[in-house]
Amino acid sequence: MSTPAPKPAAPPPRNPGPSWGFRFIRLADRVLPEPVYRPLRAAGTWVSLALLPERRRHSRDYLRVVLGREPRLREIFRHFFEFSETLLLKLRLAEGRPHRAVMAPGCEDFVRFIEEPEDALLGTFHFSHSDLIGFLYGGKRERRVSMVRLRVGNSHDVEQLGRTFGQWISFIWVNEGENLLFALKEAVAAGGCLAMKCDRLEFSSKTEPFRFLGARRLFPFTLYHLAIIFGRPVFLCVGVPGATPGETVVHSTPRWAPDPAASRAANLDSARAHFQGFLDLVERLLRQNPYWWFNYLPLNPEAPAGPAEPAADPKAQIANLKARAAAAPAAR
Amino acid sequence: MSDPLHEKLKVLIVETLRLEDIQPADIPDHEPLVGGGLSLDSIDALELVVKLEKEFGLKIASSEESRSALASVAALATYLRAHADPARLPAAA
Repeated sequence: MSTPAPKPAAPPPRNPGPSWGFRFIRLADRVLPEPVYRPLRAAGTWVSLALLPERRRHSRDYLRVVLGREPRLREIFRHFFEFSETLLLKLRLAEGRPHRAVMAPGCEDFVRFIEEPEDALLGTFHFSHSDLIGFLYGGKRERRVSMVRLRVGNSHDVEQLGRTFGQWISFIWVNEGENLLFALKEAVAAGGCLAMKCDRLEFSSKTEPFRFLGARRLFPFTLYHLAIIFGRPVFLCVGVPGATPGETVVHSTPRWAPDPAASRAANLDSARAHFQGFLDLVERLLRQNPYWWFNYLPLNPEAPAGPAEPAADPKAQIANLKARAAAAPAAR
Repeated sequence: MSDPLHEKLKVLIVETLRLEDIQPADIPDHEPLVGGGLSLDSIDALELVVKLEKEFGLKIASSEESRSALASVAALATYLRAHADPARLPAAA
């Protein structure tokens, strides 16, 4: 009997830019004075704007929605430039440069969570300084954090951060292997926090519609299902630049935890309200600065009209099962 | 005569996944649990795996193993008889 040859592994996706891009950015950051380096970064951003037409188009589409008018090229540039400045900050933080996090008003639950360790599920978006939160708190409180990420071929910033804070931070790659859910299970069982992005639909098992930027849009909802399965609380947070360059302001939702005495439907309803509250917060921040949205992809698609519907209609499930059972009586 | 382990598993599936309006008897022995008539997805499968591990004192180590275990109620019963703590299995009728 012949054994089929194993399929060659698909190469991981890559961030745009040349393979030497990160090394160049780090070197330039060390040797060039800021008055020289900043215009150079701006020029580099114009080049990427020219070379990445698809991302430029998605940026334009997003800005059109959030601004309510056709964006100017200068605004698309600012959207790209905001991302490149945050990427540089991430590299600097990974190299051990000092940076501090301050809590926005109204985040008492998250402050308590930071002070009193609790195993929780943490959600965030591809949004401004949000990537820094796990590192700022994971290192500070010496708490183990498993970060669910998409592995890309040249994710130098993530690798560097992992090396710097590897003692408390580990990664679960969503695009590697079929054992993702089991990796999540193991990470939860091992204790510590699990952090994942909740804005992109790729690799998400569960999605639900929510109000966001003037429409009902689909967002991943897997985090809450995991919280219900494992009985863990959820915090959703984003970080934005503070008043000074070395500062990130963290905005967080109140703590949400599944009620073991409540039904699954009741828990999911309260989870939906929690996530909607987070989206309202994100939208308020985007109205302050639309360039903090770091998804240069199609905006989350609009959901079909109507109320939030469950994943499957139980009555249809029964009819389906009974029809199958009737068609195969020998199975019993 | 019905297998008591099959019956127990069907009750466990309905209760764990809160399949409202579905009776344990509605679940066929040989129907795929994931991607079949029950419309279960990978998160449902994970929830079921977590419950099975707790209930039967075993550890399902990979998605491949879970896929084969969750192929149907009958396959799950076979898997449990091979891997679970025998004291936690119902006595054969």
